[in-house]
Amino acid sequence: MSTSPKTAQQDWQVYDREELRSSIAVATGSRSEVLLGLDNVHCAACVARVRKSIQDLVPDPQVDLSSRTLRLSHDPARLPLSQLLQRLDQAGFSPQVLAQDGGAQREAKANRQSLARIGIAVIGAMQVMMLAWPGYFGEGQDDAGIAMLMRWAQLILATPVVFYSGWPFLQGAWQALRTRSVNMDVPVAASLLIAWGASTLRVLLGAGDLYFDAATMFVMLLGGGRYLEGRTRAVAGARLRLLAARRALTAVREDAQGQGESVPIARLALGDVLRVAPGETLPADGELLDDFAALDESLLSGEARPVTHHRGEVLAAGSLNVGAGVLRLRVSTLGQGTMLSHITRLLAQAQAHKPKLQLIADRIAGRFVLIILALALLGAGLWWHAGADKALSVALAVLVASCPCALSLATPAVFAAAASRLAGRGVLLANPAALERVQEVQAVLFDKTGTLTHNALQLQILQPLAALDETSCRRIVAALERDLPHPIARALAQPEVAGAQDVRLDARGGVSGSVDGADYWLGAPEHSGCELSAYRAQLDAQPEATWLLLRRDQQPLALLALSAVLRSEARETVAALQSEGLRVELLSGDGQAPTEALAQRVGIGAWRARQTPEQKLARLRELQQHQEKVMAVGDGSNDAPFLAAADVALAMPSGTALAQARADAILIGDSLQGIVALRQVSAASRKRIRENLSWAFVYNLVMLPLALGGLLTPWLAALGMSLSSLIVVSNALRLGAGGATRSS
Amino acid sequence: MEALYILIPLGLTIIFAAGAALIWAIHSGQFENLEQAERLGLDDE
Repeated sequence: MSTSPKTAQQDWQVYDREELRSSIAVATGSRSEVLLGLDNVHCAACVARVRKSIQDLVPDPQVDLSSRTLRLSHDPARLPLSQLLQRLDQAGFSPQVLAQDGGAQREAKANRQSLARIGIAVIGAMQVMMLAWPGYFGEGQDDAGIAMLMRWAQLILATPVVFYSGWPFLQGAWQALRTRSVNMDVPVAASLLIAWGASTLRVLLGAGDLYFDAATMFVMLLGGGRYLEGRTRAVAGARLRLLAARRALTAVREDAQGQGESVPIARLALGDVLRVAPGETLPADGELLDDFAALDESLLSGEARPVTHHRGEVLAAGSLNVGAGVLRLRVSTLGQGTMLSHITRLLAQAQAHKPKLQLIADRIAGRFVLIILALALLGAGLWWHAGADKALSVALAVLVASCPCALSLATPAVFAAAASRLAGRGVLLANPAALERVQEVQAVLFDKTGTLTHNALQLQILQPLAALDETSCRRIVAALERDLPHPIARALAQPEVAGAQDVRLDARGGVSGSVDGADYWLGAPEHSGCELSAYRAQLDAQPEATWLLLRRDQQPLALLALSAVLRSEARETVAALQSEGLRVELLSGDGQAPTEALAQRVGIGAWRARQTPEQKLARLRELQQHQEKVMAVGDGSNDAPFLAAADVALAMPSGTALAQARADAILIGDSLQGIVALRQVSAASRKRIRENLSWAFVYNLVMLPLALGGLLTPWLAALGMSLSSLIVVSNALRLGAGGATRSS
Repeated sequence: MEALYILIPLGLTIIFAAGAALIWAIHSGQFENLEQAERLGLDDE
């Protein structure tokens, strides 16, 4: 993430300090494990270079290409972290130390555990099936000894499946019952315990039908469904964890001379004055020193609209600055507490977050469960005249047949397959629910800089107009733009130049500030208020460039031209979207001429230049009022409101944290072709979900009366359930197959 | 048929060994990052 403030002094030794260690490292014995973010890692060859650069120091570094992180474990006493960081920095990877709270480890452990539970369930269920099979046809019954051996073998195999693999269901049911409520785990646990208990009793007695096959298959299929569902959620959670981690360690502090310098948060003291650029997170609680500030506190309070705070109010760490300018605050609460507790809250929230469909399912589940239990009792009552054995068998068959196994697998299996398919094509799906909406989209709104063009702007021309020479102008410009998150600032800022004072963005996108005691303004020439006729010819000669004018008081000092490189796939992507009948528009904060030139080059007829975030939002709302579903593609913090309001929001991987936190999907392949892939996969998965849901629904509808009528034995019910679940899963997996092109 | 008196217990033993091996493999992290491992393997050629 290139927006993270570069530390002015590359003082890596700060990370060796004890006070930071607890927030960046997870200790395992004498070694500690750290997570680093890396820049310039795009492909497998880069991964190999990373490994090579530190091979002699760390034998087994884990590089993750999709999140661009490096996880390594080292012994701080023998190998200081700073040495590793320095090595990586020299190799050109600009390492960023990420905050850790052990959450990722806990998650990995939980993931391993559920995988182990499923593995055991699959092995056990298969074996129990094989052993039960002869019994279905009355074979092997003539030898009483063998028959008994096979019954005992089933008991031995089924017990770990029910109590180890099925533990989450038993636990969930117990927790629900203890609070005097019911959930979906209750009928599952009931059928597991009834089937296992009755069968065990019959093994001991040496006579009667066994239901171990039904019980184990039940655990295997339900466990599999839950695992898949959990995985998709975990992907989004991991991404959020990374976003949170990236923000946590440094802050821009103003020193006594009013200069901004990047420091680790651990070094902050009460009363320090901090600067927070637009799109950045507040690193500590503090009192606002400006007249007012707009903050996005949605990650803390859930309130989606920006909240305006006034001078003197205490702002909460973790809020995002969504105002137009840099805000200043005086630190009022400190310690590890503020930021880390925020991260913890953020993660807990992300993990507890359930998809809307799931919430509705949970709400009706309570009533549904009672109906299932009542039906099972009804079945037992109806068949009581045929003996307790038959009654038990009917009750079990009803419990198994009414279990919405296939129904519960129908959507998560498709989402999981779609997410993995998309990851291979450079799209990280952060919000699976958005997959359905992608299909309904009728309009696509693009941001320009960083989205249709590559993120990095380049300074092409710097022409002094007055007494100041090129070098001095360059320094002033760098100072003004130093702490801003906009792409223009990234092209102009220089890490070694100290920031200007009183940096302010005005409503027309200009930035003003004072450098060495003099006030400067930098912005679009049209807004400078200066007489431009002398330069008109030059400006018109390069309309696609972004021109800036630097002035002191009213005197023009220099003209600058920045230009961005158009993404090679932009034209193709736009054409593909238009050929599907979508309305494609370009909304740019940039000037008229460059926007028009770019729109022509990519083939977009409808474009708007000089758009403020409010105007972008207004255009989006206008389309939505005409019942159009809108997809927004953007990257910067000035796109945040517009991304948040869009029906489907896509962010570029180089975008600010704010833009990414709001996006439904992130184009991690850094290619616009991900949009086309997203549309294709979305269309396919919508079809699969419909097929799956209708199949599962029909299946349950047909099976239930059969079970109540006593026509279905528990093993037949379990077999039917497995087949139906298998159909649903293989149907979902068809998504992942075929043409799996991988971007690297 | 008498062979079953040996084969079934033997089968059970093997199954439990397989289960234990699976749990060990999972907890030593062999099933993590499968997609990336595949990608790296292909590109190293």
